[in-house]
Amino acid sequence: MTSVHPSALVSPSNLAARRRVKRQRRRRLLAVLQGAVIVAVAFLVLFPIVWMVLTAFKEPADDYRYTLRFTPTLDNFREVFSDRWDIAKNIRNSTIIAVSTVVIATPIAVSASYAFSRLRFPLKRTMFQWNLLTQFIPSVAIVLPFYIMFRNLDLLDTYVALILVDLSIVLPYAIWTIKGFIDAIPIETEEAAIIDGAGRFRIIWDIVVPMARPGIMTAAIFCFILTWNELLFGYLLSRQDVVPLPVGIISFVLERGPVWELIAATGIIITVPMFFFALMIQRHFTKGMNLGAVR
Amino acid sequence: MASITFRGVTKRWGAFVGVKDLNLEVADQEFLVLLGPSGCGKTTTMRMVAGLEDPTDGEIWIGDDIVNDVSPRDRDVAMVFQNYGLYPHISVRENIAYPLKVRKVPKSEVAALVNAAADKVELDPFLDRKPGQLSGGQRQRVALARSLVRTPQVFLMDEPLSNLDAKLRVTMRAELKHLHHELKITTIYVTQDQMEAMTLATRIAVMSNGVIQQLAAPEVIYNDPATLFVAGFIGSPSMNLLPGALVDGTFVAGPLRVPDFAAGNREGVVLGVRPEDVTVTAPGEGQFDMDVYTVELTGESILVTARAGKLQLTAHADRHYRCGIGDRVGMRFEPARGYLFDEATEHRIKLNHGTMQ
Repeated sequence: MTSVHPSALVSPSNLAARRRVKRQRRRRLLAVLQGAVIVAVAFLVLFPIVWMVLTAFKEPADDYRYTLRFTPTLDNFREVFSDRWDIAKNIRNSTIIAVSTVVIATPIAVSASYAFSRLRFPLKRTMFQWNLLTQFIPSVAIVLPFYIMFRNLDLLDTYVALILVDLSIVLPYAIWTIKGFIDAIPIETEEAAIIDGAGRFRIIWDIVVPMARPGIMTAAIFCFILTWNELLFGYLLSRQDVVPLPVGIISFVLERGPVWELIAATGIIITVPMFFFALMIQRHFTKGMNLGAVR
Repeated sequence: MASITFRGVTKRWGAFVGVKDLNLEVADQEFLVLLGPSGCGKTTTMRMVAGLEDPTDGEIWIGDDIVNDVSPRDRDVAMVFQNYGLYPHISVRENIAYPLKVRKVPKSEVAALVNAAADKVELDPFLDRKPGQLSGGQRQRVALARSLVRTPQVFLMDEPLSNLDAKLRVTMRAELKHLHHELKITTIYVTQDQMEAMTLATRIAVMSNGVIQQLAAPEVIYNDPATLFVAGFIGSPSMNLLPGALVDGTFVAGPLRVPDFAAGNREGVVLGVRPEDVTVTAPGEGQFDMDVYTVELTGESILVTARAGKLQLTAHADRHYRCGIGDRVGMRFEPARGYLFDEATEHRIKLNHGTMQ
């Protein structure tokens, strides 16, 4: 116990000072806690990626050793492109599927979202809600019907089947995203164009598409990412001709089990383009869209 | 250039009536202002001329043609929007050129037309900027230039100045007036601002609840209001309106007496008198005395608002006049400057002041 003069305790300035110190201490504690949480979450998110990158450059012998000390090698990348695994074929398949899906989905989504945003037609709300509802159906629940349907159509192991399925996955999302951006375009801008003499298609092309560009780009890139990463349908609907990249990885198994160093190397090949696309989305998002049409 | 005619035009949305049986003729080269509070149907009326709304009933004529079924682009009208409606992603030059581009005007002519339009509204230095890089006033000019560029038959302006700050509004108002004088294009102008209406209009149509209350030249609207609504809407501060009765020629409202106001007896009337027609006097020297409720200096004059019981009256006093809140003052006005309205029908009761004196 330290002895304090009673008057010192009740002096208002002293009391205020003590309160200030207390507040400072609490703030510092909070900052430390915040930092700790951030580090923990970052570790959880980043660790698998870091581990994948490390593994990709390891010799097979180092796979199961929890060490950071190894001689990095590019052998794994060379190996996945060899005739044995021929990952280039999977890259080509995935690119064809993803690019076709985006190229088909974007104009459809722009038209549909314009209609949902601006036109008046019966059951508009219901249709838009159903469009969103499809997003809540777990893929696993419909993968079998899809399989049977495509088998009956003799479309198994074709690009057409995978592109159609991917369209059904990405379109609702794309429509929803782009509609939000079209909603934000002031109606006066379109009315001005009507009076200036532009027809419906001209307005969409000259006014709506450029003004909704950030949204359209975001939706297109996101659709590409979704399609590029899609595993379940690709796994069930492809056999050998159109096997996409993520499905290709699954086959990296030898007698000794999964070939982790090759899986990791392919993982990097899959991830790198997505990484740049994510950066692009971010740029488009932050670009915003109010460029001074009104006020 | 052309006249615009409404014949029995009605616009309904379900049970809601936006515009009710409108009959109106806008003369060639006229500057007609549709004035009224929000929701009165003025914007709807204009949008029907543009073709952005279809009338439920009736005919709209531009010149010698019924345009009910003519698409907006073939009506040869130009419109300036409240929010300008500019195209933010293209330059000012492309904005102004857009109506020409859509109409496939040869490129060789476009440049000259755009420059001429930009010149008229003094935009030349900004042609290569995007609308986002311009001030509000400059954006308004872009919208104007875009509507000027193809010299339309009819000009429609939907509260074009309402987003500008007060000072700029006055400047742009003067420019609009000059522009109309120069181009002589038939114009319909929608506003809630009576000052714009008074200064710009050849004629004003005061609207409320989808009906034109009065259609007349600005000075008639101001000096000879047809209804209680017009009287109360036009003028700032607005006209004093005192409900009361006429008893043997004296207007009686609560404790107030205005002797020799008009001949006869009548219940349920409203006396209207503009603040600038009321004089503040020493107590006992006016027609009646009141207690000062508030005093506001506007610069050019002093607004004295006084009360007697529940009745309130505002008067313009000379800017050197001084009084305090709570002071007792007299109020006086020439009976000839007063108006009388029927409280029930809200219509004006024409007075014959001459016989009273």
